[in-house]
Amino acid sequence: MEIKMNTLKLAHLTFLSLIAVSFSASAHAEEAKATGPSDPQIAAIVVTANAVDIDAGKAAKAKTKNKEIKKFAEQMITDHSAVNKSAVELVTKLKVTPEENDTSRALKKGGDDNLASLKKLKGKEFDKAYVEHEVAYHQAVLDAIDQTLIPSAQNGELKALLVKVRPAIEAHLEHAKQIQTSIR
Amino acid sequence: MKIFWSFLNRALIAGVLTLSALAFASSKSHTTTVIIENMKFTPAEFEVKKGETIVWINKDLVPHTVTSNDKSFDSKIIDPGKSWQLKNSKVGTYAYKCLLHPTMLGSLVVK
Repeated sequence: MEIKMNTLKLAHLTFLSLIAVSFSASAHAEEAKATGPSDPQIAAIVVTANAVDIDAGKAAKAKTKNKEIKKFAEQMITDHSAVNKSAVELVTKLKVTPEENDTSRALKKGGDDNLASLKKLKGKEFDKAYVEHEVAYHQAVLDAIDQTLIPSAQNGELKALLVKVRPAIEAHLEHAKQIQTSIR
Repeated sequence: MKIFWSFLNRALIAGVLTLSALAFASSKSHTTTVIIENMKFTPAEFEVKKGETIVWINKDLVPHTVTSNDKSFDSKIIDPGKSWQLKNSKVGTYAYKCLLHPTMLGSLVVK
């Protein structure tokens, strides 16, 4: 069991590193604009990032016996669905078609890998793994918003939406960290 | 002429009474507005007089609640774009939070 957990942890960390690498276009805003994702690509990244956390939330809601984690998972489903609704409304209004890209595909793959890992766990091991992933995932998304998505966004309304989404991601991160501490 | 001045006097008195009534009514119906946006309540802390109305407007992307720690008031879910009103008649200090997002805290004092 110990070896299995270490293998899963390694897979988990590898996924998060891949995400971090694929997100980080550049440390500088000007370079980010030139080499970063286009608005259609940003739209695909936002929608995929939300969908990944919704799926993880559904898995946790169905499996966890921990009331606090169940509530958190339900919140992830509600909040990320609401953010996706706003994102889809905006891109529809702007006539921007989301364009799949390496980052959105990496996110999707990472999300699927996470679900596969979580499927093998139960009880407290599941809870720990789910929450640990939520902390790392929201931190990665927050960093991506700050370092890549906001600096790269060309359309003012899309940029404003990303700015408006940021506090929700930060609040999710803090909430996940609180739970992580409480279940240690 | 006498009739004219008499009419004018009555009109003036009626006008003054109406304005006084309006002023009285508006001071009774003072409303404090709290904006829920960017995962916080703004203002987060404030004071109101007993009987005054408080309106929370959710301008955020996600649903929130306004729930006092002592459970004396609970808005239930306030969806984005919706609002919720409270008229608190009991003097006291009420710490409240969003039940959905534990980092969102506020407090109101009813005097």
